[in-house]
Amino acid sequence: MRYTPSILAVFLMVGITGLFSQVTAQVQARAAGQWVMPRTADGHPDLQGNWTNATITLIQRRRDQDAVYSPEEALRLEGGRAARTEALNQPSDPDRKAPPVGGDGSTGAAGGVGGYNYFWIDAGSKVAKFNGELRTSLIVDPPDGRYPSRTDAARQRMSEASQFRRQFGQYDNPENRPLAERCIVSFGSNAGPPMLPNYFYNNNYTIVQTPDHIMIMTEMVHDVRIIRMGTPKPLPKNVRPWFGDSWGHWEGDTLVVETTNFSPVQLNRGQLSGATENLKITERLTRADEYTLNYEFTVDDLETWTDSWSGEVPFTRLPGLVYEYACHEGNYALFNVLRGARAQEQREGSRQIPKR
Amino acid sequence: MLSFVFKLVRTLRRTTCSVVVCMALGAISAYAQTAEIPRTQEGKPDLNGIWQALGNAHWDIEPHAARAALQMQPGPVVPVPAKDLLAFGAVGSVPSGVGVVVGGEIPYLPEARARKIENQENWAERDPEIKCYLPGVPRATYMPFPFQIFQSASHFFIAYEYAGALRNIYMEDPGPAQVDSWMGQSVGHWEGDTFVAEGSGFNDQTWFDRAGNHHSASMTVVERYTMTSPDHILYEAMIEDPQTFSRPWMISMPLYRHVNNDARIGQFKCVEFVEELLYGQLRKNPIGSEEGR
Amino acid sequence: MRKNQTTLAVAGLAALIAVVPLMAHHAFGAEFDRDAPIRLQGPVVRLEWVNPHAWIHLEITKEDGTNEVWMVEGGTPNTLLRRGLRRDCLTPGTVIIVDGYQTKDHSLARANGRDVTFTDGTKIFLGSSGTGAPYEAEMLAARQEQGRC
Repeated sequence: MRYTPSILAVFLMVGITGLFSQVTAQVQARAAGQWVMPRTADGHPDLQGNWTNATITLIQRRRDQDAVYSPEEALRLEGGRAARTEALNQPSDPDRKAPPVGGDGSTGAAGGVGGYNYFWIDAGSKVAKFNGELRTSLIVDPPDGRYPSRTDAARQRMSEASQFRRQFGQYDNPENRPLAERCIVSFGSNAGPPMLPNYFYNNNYTIVQTPDHIMIMTEMVHDVRIIRMGTPKPLPKNVRPWFGDSWGHWEGDTLVVETTNFSPVQLNRGQLSGATENLKITERLTRADEYTLNYEFTVDDLETWTDSWSGEVPFTRLPGLVYEYACHEGNYALFNVLRGARAQEQREGSRQIPKR
Repeated sequence: MLSFVFKLVRTLRRTTCSVVVCMALGAISAYAQTAEIPRTQEGKPDLNGIWQALGNAHWDIEPHAARAALQMQPGPVVPVPAKDLLAFGAVGSVPSGVGVVVGGEIPYLPEARARKIENQENWAERDPEIKCYLPGVPRATYMPFPFQIFQSASHFFIAYEYAGALRNIYMEDPGPAQVDSWMGQSVGHWEGDTFVAEGSGFNDQTWFDRAGNHHSASMTVVERYTMTSPDHILYEAMIEDPQTFSRPWMISMPLYRHVNNDARIGQFKCVEFVEELLYGQLRKNPIGSEEGR
Repeated sequence: MRKNQTTLAVAGLAALIAVVPLMAHHAFGAEFDRDAPIRLQGPVVRLEWVNPHAWIHLEITKEDGTNEVWMVEGGTPNTLLRRGLRRDCLTPGTVIIVDGYQTKDHSLARANGRDVTFTDGTKIFLGSSGTGAPYEAEMLAARQEQGRC
């Protein structure tokens, strides 16, 4: 479109006036202590920037737990986390010897060898506060805050997958290692959907918003989700990328994202294990205040779970940058694991497939 | 006032004119054309969309003749493709190109030029693209894969299809990068209608192409993205690296918009594709070993 | 480290990691040999601030008097970057002490950085509770005065 100078001048004046009145309104509101929803030029809430979903709150509630913590309970948990950090910051004995033969007794992922120092970890320091409530789980539906049961058909699918895996020792091939260890995708369901914390570190995201796309980058393994806005033109059924195919639209001030076409590997992993190609996940993002995005999700696949299940996760402003997590390029660990398994087999003179 | 000028220009063009006047008129028409490029609400050229380079800079950014393969071995008469590349046949052959380096040749320092030749001779071991490593800058721009620009008032983000590479080009300088990275750290600003991205903090692991052209961790890259029409961007990148080159040098090429309505970038997560290559020998039963087949 | 502190540290780490599903992260027990403990002391010679794990290279002197460079596995540098990691942190030449376990492949001079400290026992980096507590800012400031991060 060709802009003649007079039209340009009019636009400029209207634009400046409009901007001025908007700025004035915002300044007045801020002076009155009110938070004003920041908006992009097309009038939608501005969801952009760096966010984190790191939290102490786990995905699933314990069977005996209430839906919310009391303020005292929450403080105790957060204080415990802070106390642990402080304790682990204390100096060690410079004359300490090597740790014991046979392992140091550490469990879980620390694997008996003590992992590494706690200062590398950044698992979150706060209980998840969603709409003012101190949540005991990220799952809110079913009402007990726990994953719903799977259908018989889903269990069958999982059992078959399990049987396939059992043909192999867990260190036999790179393909037998977890996807995150192979640097193919982020830990757990970081990129999702649904986008869940990994309870380790780097639970960070960058959101960029244009009139027809929303881009969500997960720090871990630089996973990118591109959400196309408007009427869905979904991919063919046999095209199933990682993180699925996402289409978004606005419902008032909430961004609604619907995702289908999940990769078969993603349907065989973690929370989504046993799901079918008809899996659909719906997410809602609402800017709650200056520092918070309310993230809600619903997982739907009645061939897999007896009911749909939903969660609510606060994403808070990340005070810092999101850094490159190149992963594959520096993946000594996978090499060490495979080499180590071969070396151990040689030492043991074992040619059997090791038991899991 | 401007509309009067436009009318005057059209009238003058219909009459005879000297070279100088014609050039001036051409420049004014060209300006009238750039007024057609899509603009954001903030008035900047709108670079949102899916873009891709044509040509074969990804093979070799310097002018080059076609050749049989990226790595050769001595043959009975002339060199022939290296053993590992034979099965590719013509699929693995390198097309000719006039290059994208402004001025023709990369101004290597002597030791760096020797290293480039060594890289070429050992391409199969050394090219980071083979291992699906992140391509770095500017190679990411002209890989034979599309990329998508997400441009808002506050952000300028590029997602590349190849290996899921990405760059968040900061619109505010966060200070120098404290750790080197594959895609570097870039800070962007507008100079008129050109988006300028200044990149630094690159590691020394990436190449410029499949021809062994390399750099050190001191490299800085200044890119300029200028929309020359609604569907074209003129891409220029100035590379400066006193450890490797005797002076700064520039590459230049057009970028073309994917104009089909349902254009989208695909997913090329190639890490899985190279596991046999990288870890095959570490399997419990490697393929080709007694127990493996 | 005194015994109760060791127990606390180990218990703390274990309690943290125990809740994470194993598939989320490779188990250290897959990579390192619990029957091959090590204690290393020597100057840093190289830093690889890479993901998924940073690697600190240090040079030790073996019993036979020869030198050997070991690689020690850390975590993600991204965590440290957000806490102010700078290029001049942990410069080559700085002497560190590492206790941990060697990789299962004993032909590799690699170990996990179970506990990495300076020669006075202080940790090479500090964790943050994320609460912005003033004492933490003081601690970090004090360290920066000593040329540490």
